[in-house]
Amino acid sequence: MPDNLHARARSLISRELVEGIEATEREWLERHLETCAECAVLAGATKRAIGSLRAISIPLPPDLAGRTQFRVYLRSREIRSRERSGWLLWGSFGLSWALGIASAPLVWRGFEWLGHLAGVPNLFLKMAFGLWWGVPAAVAAGIWMLEKRRVEER
Amino acid sequence: MATLIMSFSAMMAGDTKALAAGLRRRDPELLDLLIEQYQYRLFRYLLYLTGSRETAEDLFQETWIRVLDRGHQYDGKAKFETWLFAIARHLVIDLQRRKKPESLDSLAAPEMISAEPSPLERFSKRESETNLQESLGRLPAVYREVLLLRFQEDLALEEIAAVLDAPVSTVKSRLYRGLEMLRQEMGEVGRAG
Repeated sequence: MPDNLHARARSLISRELVEGIEATEREWLERHLETCAECAVLAGATKRAIGSLRAISIPLPPDLAGRTQFRVYLRSREIRSRERSGWLLWGSFGLSWALGIASAPLVWRGFEWLGHLAGVPNLFLKMAFGLWWGVPAAVAAGIWMLEKRRVEER
Repeated sequence: MATLIMSFSAMMAGDTKALAAGLRRRDPELLDLLIEQYQYRLFRYLLYLTGSRETAEDLFQETWIRVLDRGHQYDGKAKFETWLFAIARHLVIDLQRRKKPESLDSLAAPEMISAEPSPLERFSKRESETNLQESLGRLPAVYREVLLLRFQEDLALEEIAAVLDAPVSTVKSRLYRGLEMLRQEMGEVGRAG
């Protein structure tokens, strides 16, 4: 029998398991296996190997699910508590911003009055006012970035 | 109780969208059910990949912690187990990277499960299983992995590709090569026995 027939049979034996073959190919393979002992042995060995692979059983460690469920429960409590504190934190920032916006005209007048009293240049006053606005935002951004890094590290 | 019944029926019906919604909510009852339902398959997958029962146990727990943390990333388009195995696989790769920082493709390392006696050997009774385990243990992890996903987990080629984050063509070629190697190994183990 020519070698290429055996090669085709060998390829079909694998392909049938991996991605399936056409009905005509299956018929050809069955006919070939009836007449070729070597390929029939190979097909049998392959099917046995896959059968054993499917049949292998592994004992689970004792209470694996229970221990995992407990760890997951602890972690979810931790997440919930972090989320609560996160909401509190962002709520405080939101409130401080709202108050900042509402009180901005008064604060600016206060800065102006103090500046005139102390003879501070207008540019310096504007910079101080900008800082008064910018520092809380920078702190908020810093906390947010730290928190993000902490989550990513986990 | 109502949530539990809903979660359970969603799981049974393979309703991945409902699962995704539950994971986004971090529904504790749903997670408990999923851990119960997938414990065997996930542990087996990790055990075959790592070759160590202790490591597999640690990674099993880590996988579920990650499912909790990143549940919002599961969109319900693919099967849950595909996503679950992909998470577990990433954890194995991360662990290997920490052990061998110079080797990024460490899953290919054949010594990965031969570093200690195969846990499968310890528990198996049947001779054919032992032969198979020996043969599997000798295969490089990349081939062993696809064989397990295809023939133990019965995942489709596209699903295996999603777990591996690799093209279907790569999955196919690894499967063919893995089958060939397994046949050879089993033949040698059989002859040696």
